[in-house]
Amino acid sequence: MAVRKQRKKSKKRLTRKMQKNFLLVFAVIVGLFLCLFIRMAYIRASKGTEYSNAVLSHQSYVNSSLPYARGTITDRNGVQLAVSKRVYNVILDPSVVLSDEKFKEPTLNALAEAFSLNKAELEQILTDNPESAYYVLLKDQPYELIETYEKLREANHKVVKGVWFETEYVREYPYGSSASHVIGYTNKGNVGTYGIEQYYNSYLNGKNGREAGYYDAELNLVKKVWEAEDGDTVVSTIDIYLQNIVEEKIREFLTEYSCENIGVVLMNPNNGEIYAMASNEGFDLNDPRNLDAYYTAEEQAAMTDEEQLAALNKMWRNFCVSDTYEPGSTFKLLTVSAGLEESLISTGSSFYCEGARKLGKWTIHCNRQSGHGSLSLTESLMFSCNMAMMDISAKEGRALFRYYQEHFGLGSKTGLDLPGEAAGILIDEDLLNETELATSSFGQGFNVTMVQMLSAYCSLVNGGYYYQPHVVKEIVNQDGATVFENRDSLLHCTVSNSTSEFIKQAAYMTVESGTATPAKVEGYLVGGKTGTAQKGNRADKKYVVSFIGGAPADDPEVCIYVVIDEIHDETLYNSSKPATQLTSKILAQVLPYLGVYPEGDIDYGVEYTGDQESGDEVSEGPVEEDGEGDGSEPSVTPTAAPEG
Amino acid sequence: MTTLTREDMDRSVSTKPKQYYDYTLLFLIIFLVGFGIVMISSISAYNATKYYDDAFLFVKGQLQYAVLGLVAMVGISMFDYHLVTLRFLRVRLVTWFYLICVAMQLAVLFVGHSTNGSSRWLELGPIRFQPSELTKIAVILLAAFVVQKAPKILDHFLGFVFVMAIFAPAIGLVLIENLSTAIILVGIVFVICFITSRKKGYYFISMGVLVVGGALAIFKVSYRAERIDNWLHVETADGGYQILQGLYAIASGGWFGKGLGNSIQKLGYIPEVHTDMIFSCICEELGIFGAVCLLALYAILLWRIFLIGLHAPDLFGSLIVCGVFVQIALQVLINVAVVTNSIPATGIPLPFVSYGGSSLIFTMMEIGMVLSVAKRIDYGNS
Repeated sequence: MAVRKQRKKSKKRLTRKMQKNFLLVFAVIVGLFLCLFIRMAYIRASKGTEYSNAVLSHQSYVNSSLPYARGTITDRNGVQLAVSKRVYNVILDPSVVLSDEKFKEPTLNALAEAFSLNKAELEQILTDNPESAYYVLLKDQPYELIETYEKLREANHKVVKGVWFETEYVREYPYGSSASHVIGYTNKGNVGTYGIEQYYNSYLNGKNGREAGYYDAELNLVKKVWEAEDGDTVVSTIDIYLQNIVEEKIREFLTEYSCENIGVVLMNPNNGEIYAMASNEGFDLNDPRNLDAYYTAEEQAAMTDEEQLAALNKMWRNFCVSDTYEPGSTFKLLTVSAGLEESLISTGSSFYCEGARKLGKWTIHCNRQSGHGSLSLTESLMFSCNMAMMDISAKEGRALFRYYQEHFGLGSKTGLDLPGEAAGILIDEDLLNETELATSSFGQGFNVTMVQMLSAYCSLVNGGYYYQPHVVKEIVNQDGATVFENRDSLLHCTVSNSTSEFIKQAAYMTVESGTATPAKVEGYLVGGKTGTAQKGNRADKKYVVSFIGGAPADDPEVCIYVVIDEIHDETLYNSSKPATQLTSKILAQVLPYLGVYPEGDIDYGVEYTGDQESGDEVSEGPVEEDGEGDGSEPSVTPTAAPEG
Repeated sequence: MTTLTREDMDRSVSTKPKQYYDYTLLFLIIFLVGFGIVMISSISAYNATKYYDDAFLFVKGQLQYAVLGLVAMVGISMFDYHLVTLRFLRVRLVTWFYLICVAMQLAVLFVGHSTNGSSRWLELGPIRFQPSELTKIAVILLAAFVVQKAPKILDHFLGFVFVMAIFAPAIGLVLIENLSTAIILVGIVFVICFITSRKKGYYFISMGVLVVGGALAIFKVSYRAERIDNWLHVETADGGYQILQGLYAIASGGWFGKGLGNSIQKLGYIPEVHTDMIFSCICEELGIFGAVCLLALYAILLWRIFLIGLHAPDLFGSLIVCGVFVQIALQVLINVAVVTNSIPATGIPLPFVSYGGSSLIFTMMEIGMVLSVAKRIDYGNS
């Protein structure tokens, strides 16, 4: 470019070199523009979806979730057994507190005063998290403390700032370990584990509410609140007073004796409602993982994780529902009932007990080795004669016997409304040969659960009506409407009225002057039957002792079943005495509470005048004769039902 | 020149030299400002309704500024830019202008109206403006004047230092409150010197010195150091909110955008969305394609200014145009880089598009200077 000096003032023009420089600058700038384009494309490609979602979430947003309160579990009288309590989390917003110098002191003072906190620690929190807007200062604070703080804040509301509260519900069990196996506990606040908490989880849980906002067509923020729906109230059939009596007596018993397991169930025979159900010592529902009641700190420290889990599972296991065992002599009532129902025997039938009987290659002994001699039907129950039962079962035959076992609800779940119920194991009909039939007649060789036996017994003494056992009476929603009622618990009839009458008499006589005399309660008429069953390998000499009964004997208002598994006492291991004594102690307190008044003797017209001695019976299993047999046992070893 | 037709050429021969007016540049500016007003009307409507109960508040404001700016731009273009070299009280007008600007920068430190932690505004009667915008013009003019007087001194490092020293007071005063404008001022003087100089080596050294100095300036002032942190951790840092929301807008707009008026991020999520952050919502509504078109428009504008600079009748004119070129280029670059989180956040408006009176009017006045230079191009010989 030629430089023409036209103007006087400016003779200089941009030289070629300068033009090149300028072009370089322009090129650099265009290059930077390209870089920015690449940068934008990169943002789009790498974060496109994530950021688009972030923007979409702006269009409507969920502000906060409003928690529901899990339903309450009450006992039959409305006493709260499990309740969700609203608690408050204290949230500190350091960014607000520090936003103005004059906020800090009064706010910290109010916090320190209301929640008894150390002010220096609070200042440290502020120093450590100056930018934070959400610091969880305290959890699970009761309303009273919040109220105290609110009063302090109101008095000085211009400078007390940066603290707010979140609500939350925590599950509380006011009675601690009472009825722990029936109630169950909750995990993570709303997941029922064991017991009613698990079985009725869907009723107990409510629906979380929501507070949300969205933009309407005019771009106004519209807020909407969906209230939380609280869970339903579950009214249990448990009576916490009776439950506590039972548990107290079990604890007393366990200070005296030691055993593998002990279970006690109280049931209303006239509708299947369970008043109390206790297994062993239970566990603290407020702290279900605490093994302190069973193991010392050193033992716990030495446990592996698996051992600890096993120990916890054992502690949480509801023996009354989940464990099966051989019922022993308590089953004799069922054998006799079946015989009476089928008219194979009559109330006037008599039997002869020779003490031992040889069946095939087995010799079966009666509990009195010398034999009971001649017995009436009532006496055969009173003294728990095995030989008489063998006679009856032989008359019944395998098909009928097996039919009646199922008829009385054995071998299948009762449908009790608790999780983890076991079905028990019966001997199949085609395996029910002479020996098996004989041992089964006095309750050996098959497995039952406590609820099965108790439900069957209740039907024998209430006139023949089999009610499904249950622990929940009704479920009431938050508006007070009943959403579920356990009314259809009558399932079928087991025996005729006359059979029921006979069983009641025999049961009464058994307690009055038979094997169960320790079960007597002063002034009351108690009926029942003891049981002593051999466990597992007959040579181990391990026994399950039990007592099943009811009071008053002529028209029972409450039935009780006590099972003691493997008592650790050389002198008592095969005696039903601990079970009958425990029953007596429990009934002595339960009956007055239930409004059953003491009365005199009742005359059943079956005065016992015989020469039989009352005493403990031992229902011996089949004993192998020396040199004979193939060593296999005809009985089924007790097996524990799987959990859940 | 594309705007010249054969007819023009013929006429120019027959009459006295026809005065050239760069309508291409003029219409480019009018188009950019118009585009800006359309985007402002889309983007500011929500906030304007919400806070001022007038959806068109910002549109009306920007329209007024645009008309004022247009008048100022065309008016300035009518004057000969050599007027500034006249003497008044034995001192050239350009020097007076510069001294007044320095004085105003000083004044703004004491009586300035502050927004967002920096006092940048000066109130003179009913007019409120940022003196730093005026300082840019003063620096462009004085730098061009000084350098064209003795271009050869820039062949030596000391000469460059001397030129920089002249502008040190103004840059220093701006730096106290407004780092980004100071960077632009340094850029203007630097590029003017760079173009004129025949030796290059020392520029790269001084560039390094400037970068180090700039870094020190950043870390010395706490709120700027915080911005660095926000820049590096934009997704997590508390202060990264504005930029992160801008990034959300860019990414969610996609390649072709959500359509004009359909931005979600403008609904109160991006602070300053119609001013410094307008580019993010342009991306959201028009997509990366629309944003690239806008950048291309700036590139064409710069190319036009570049051509005028090349063909200016004298070195003074070339350097003035060069200064304006650098200023607009840097503002676009810094603004887009901030919005895309390529550099730490700093408040620079997007020239001609962002809402804001001072910025729009003064930038248009600078274009008026460019037009004034263009008018004096002796096209017959180019």
